Amino acid sequence: MNNIGKKDRVSCYQVVLLITVYEVMTRLTYLSVASIPPANQDMWIVSLTSIPYIILFCSPLLYLGNRFNNLTLLGYANRIMGRILGKIIGIFYTIFLFIGLMLLLGVLVEILNSSLFPETPTYVTASIMLITCIYISYGGFKNMARLGEITIPFVIIMIFLFIALGYKNYDFKELLPVLKDSTYKQINAGAINIGIRFSEITILAMMTPYLEVREDLNRIFFRSLMYSMGISILIVVAVQLSLGIEFVKHINFPFLTFTRLLALGRDIQGFDSLYIISWIMGNVIKISGYLYFTTLALEEIIGRRNQDFIIPVSVIALILIILIKDRRPILAATRSMQRFMFILSVIAILIIPLIMLVAYFFRRNSLKQGKG
Amino acid sequence: MKWNTIFLIVCTMLGIFLIGCWNARELNELGISLVMGLDEEGDDILLTAEVVDPSFTQKDGGSVGQGGPVKYVQGTGCNVFEAFRDVVLKFDRRLFVSHNKVVIIGEDLAKNGVAEHIDELFRDREQRETAHVLIAKGAKAYEVMGISSGLESIPANYISNLIKNIKENPKAMDMNMIENLKHFYHEGHQSIMGVIEKRGIGQIDKMVEETDIQDYELSIIGSAIFDEGSLVGYLNGNDTKALNFIMDRIEGGIITFPTPDSALGSKSEFSSKHRELSSVVIINSKTKNDVKIKDGNVVLSTKIRLRGSIGEVVGNIDISKEENLKQMEKACSKSIEEGIKTAITKVQKQFGLDVFGYGLVFHRKYPKKWMGIKENWDQVFSKADFEVEVKTDIIRTGLINTPVIRKKER
Repeated sequence: MNNIGKKDRVSCYQVVLLITVYEVMTRLTYLSVASIPPANQDMWIVSLTSIPYIILFCSPLLYLGNRFNNLTLLGYANRIMGRILGKIIGIFYTIFLFIGLMLLLGVLVEILNSSLFPETPTYVTASIMLITCIYISYGGFKNMARLGEITIPFVIIMIFLFIALGYKNYDFKELLPVLKDSTYKQINAGAINIGIRFSEITILAMMTPYLEVREDLNRIFFRSLMYSMGISILIVVAVQLSLGIEFVKHINFPFLTFTRLLALGRDIQGFDSLYIISWIMGNVIKISGYLYFTTLALEEIIGRRNQDFIIPVSVIALILIILIKDRRPILAATRSMQRFMFILSVIAILIIPLIMLVAYFFRRNSLKQGKG
Repeated sequence: MKWNTIFLIVCTMLGIFLIGCWNARELNELGISLVMGLDEEGDDILLTAEVVDPSFTQKDGGSVGQGGPVKYVQGTGCNVFEAFRDVVLKFDRRLFVSHNKVVIIGEDLAKNGVAEHIDELFRDREQRETAHVLIAKGAKAYEVMGISSGLESIPANYISNLIKNIKENPKAMDMNMIENLKHFYHEGHQSIMGVIEKRGIGQIDKMVEETDIQDYELSIIGSAIFDEGSLVGYLNGNDTKALNFIMDRIEGGIITFPTPDSALGSKSEFSSKHRELSSVVIINSKTKNDVKIKDGNVVLSTKIRLRGSIGEVVGNIDISKEENLKQMEKACSKSIEEGIKTAITKVQKQFGLDVFGYGLVFHRKYPKKWMGIKENWDQVFSKADFEVEVKTDIIRTGLINTPVIRKKER
């Protein structure tokens, strides 16, 4: 990754936009804070409390990213852990990114089928989305970042617009009583649960060598964390105020339902269509990113250029998503899926980076001398 | 590589432009439903839909289509969705419910429990959560559908406009699907819904051809009270107005009260002549509810701040005088207080259900105590004392000051 030319590098602003929208898309789709303890009026506080936990959980990867800023996550895993263990870790992260890609695609198809195209077969919706993402991924990371620079501000502006338009539906009493029905333990358990799901740190760890100024990694992380969590908390509060806590727990796509209630005067309605457009735009960027970095991980493991893997990986994802989606809904079966993703996230964000960090401290001197 | 790129671009463009064709439904294949009625027929659900008849044109007096601008279709089934699908075997178009403005629920169905039958209304993407919900008082839903005694030729618009008029007269309840569900989920606030009632009308124009429909009008005065999703009773118009005051849902309307008899020098606070009633038009109103615990007893407290304008003065009072205007304000406040006290007492004694939402206030103020009493809050509510305080500010008097009947002193 040392040989990434200056013209292929991306700016701090572009990466902040990408990481922000990746995280916001997760919150926009799931609102997972409504289904984890304490799942009451304090859920926005849980989101807020999760910020220090995210920083804590991401710090091993962030530290290693700063130490090896000319390498991707897989690159420094190889250097620190050695060839065999490095390859195993690389395979794990490839699978992790691939599962993320599949999950994103599955949810995208599920929302599109639920909200716009109920009779369109899964393979059609999934294929069309994947073709778009393949095209974007083929363009490389630089082009993806440029595309994000144009589309992500639109997505974010739309979210703010919807939140402002929902003002008439807000019942601020839904936030009361504050911190009375939840214990300190519940709030922290919820915050840890949210914090450990910040899987975008793995994407950032893959992006590091592409940065124009690699020393900006910490700045990028903190900025994107603050922006994404700020927007996420606004989303949580808006949905909570508008729909009430108990109903939010029943809904598969809370922010979609929130936008279905929006109206400007008596006649201008149907903001949900506008939301779906911006949501698709954001998710296409995110799926393209996951597809790109899955293939980049494969490039590092197998040693062939990543573009060779884009179509095969997409076809495998398509086949799997058709097999899964035509048997079972992804979002309705949240409990088992969330548990599975939680375990994967714990391993990817915390356990492996901690092991690598410990190994780095033990092998620091030999790595400096270039023996790794 | 070049051909691959071109192939991908073509596929993407085709995908973008053609994907919508998959589920395309042309307008001439849809039956656009404006009002939907749900009833219980034995063990089945009877669904009635008011569907727009596009062949009807007002220009030629409706000669193209037979009847009016709407048609009524019915379907039965074990549940709401089956009833929907039953319609397609009797009606040549698929019902399209995204334009549904009102959902009317028959009294029988409401008494046996609405909550279990509204799942489809939230699960189906075509349904709108913002549709208004009304209970057909003393009737089946289909019995109140089709009546339009207003100028609107489409009954759905007639009902929709009646609901819109609630801001002029808050003796009715405007509740949509999502608000109703929120109340259903709230602990410490029983659900309420609007009502719709078919009433006979006095015949004014004898020349008008008599039909069943023209003998009736619809009224949405009052509200329906629910206990865990089942209809248990109704509130009249004045009680519903009080309910709207407590729930801070007043957008307008009038307050009518006995005119203070100050000009005649009467010692009584209010005029003995009951016909001398004046009205204040509500400009805005703000309610603050509170719950206190005094000597172990729960006390419900409601404070209302109202700004209004004199709408009508019947009686001998010179409201251009500051002290008389203050008396009018006092009389107006007293009238609201009495109305609210009557409504609370009635609900406490007759239903024993907290439809006002004091339970939510209690939860916010005493969260720990709430955990202990939330299961039997309705019993606590029905025995609770209450305090009502209303402060009225009359900020306008209209185009005249003293009543027309009264000559001004020189």
